[in-house]
Amino acid sequence: MDETADISARASAQPVLERADAELAARAREGDEAAFEELFLRHRRRVALIAARFFRRREQVEEVVQESFTKAFFALGEFANGRDASFAAWLARIAFNVSYDELRRQKRRPEGALEELTEEEAATLSERLRVEGSDAEGQAVSRDLAAKLLARLSPEDRLVLVLLDVEGLSVAEIAGLLNWTGSKVKVRAHRARAHLRRVLERFL
Amino acid sequence: MAGEKFSDGREGSLERVAREVIRASAAGEGEAQAAAGSPFLYARVRARIEEERRRREEGEGWLALLGVAWRAVPAMAVVAVLALALFLSSGTGELTPGYGLGAEALLGERDGDFEQVVLADTRTPSNEDEVLSTIIGEGENSK
Repeated sequence: MDETADISARASAQPVLERADAELAARAREGDEAAFEELFLRHRRRVALIAARFFRRREQVEEVVQESFTKAFFALGEFANGRDASFAAWLARIAFNVSYDELRRQKRRPEGALEELTEEEAATLSERLRVEGSDAEGQAVSRDLAAKLLARLSPEDRLVLVLLDVEGLSVAEIAGLLNWTGSKVKVRAHRARAHLRRVLERFL
Repeated sequence: MAGEKFSDGREGSLERVAREVIRASAAGEGEAQAAAGSPFLYARVRARIEEERRRREEGEGWLALLGVAWRAVPAMAVVAVLALALFLSSGTGELTPGYGLGAEALLGERDGDFEQVVLADTRTPSNEDEVLSTIIGEGENSK
């Protein structure tokens, strides 16, 4: 009986939190700075985690966090009138879009030029590709190596692959998140996978 | 048959490693924790909000000015049309000679001799003495 009560209490905790978020957002919109700070404290980790899906350096992650919350602050009115039921989902959408903008900015900058793989990294990748089976042993792909490989993809490709394979979102959810059509998401995902396979084939 | 199997295995490896690469690139919990716990992060967010607010207010100022200018354009056009209509209705619509700003109006009565002296010599007099000697020379010639 106690266990059932505990489960139902946990299940109802999420809507209560969302309701509290909506109340805080309403207060923040009316100029209550403490309410906005509370929203920041509640959601900063999630926004930072979204940014860290795309960026390795801490200052880049912080930049996305700052920009996301700034954008959210000025768009609080849209949250109240929009279709988003959850503040967390609405903020996540802002964070993904800010990350995407930052990826595009980075791609345009000359210092964002592609980094070459070290011999050791190339050897690791080659070994991973030669071993068959999902439970293949060997040195795992490092984050640095993965970032260097993914830097060869376009920001759109990278975003779609992360949303599909890491965030585990459906095509419809991604379409809603990025304001794309479902078919655009599918085509982009297909092309992105093909592109990544071509990048990896060079090391096979 | 063996070729197909090799190809399937190769595709499978590529697909598996591709997913591995995507997951590895996105595994940034450490960076996320560090960034979220960064000191003064909220203060920096507030500073950015204030900066953005100031920027927007400046932009709004320019927009207001542009709005005023935009509203002024039709008013100025109406004034111009009225002025033209008034001008055309007041007379023939041609400028009278007395209002013209010709050379005579600007310089007063024409001094024929002086004009001739100046225009006769294509060489530009370089100083005051040369000018005087030219005028005196021309006067003596006319006598």
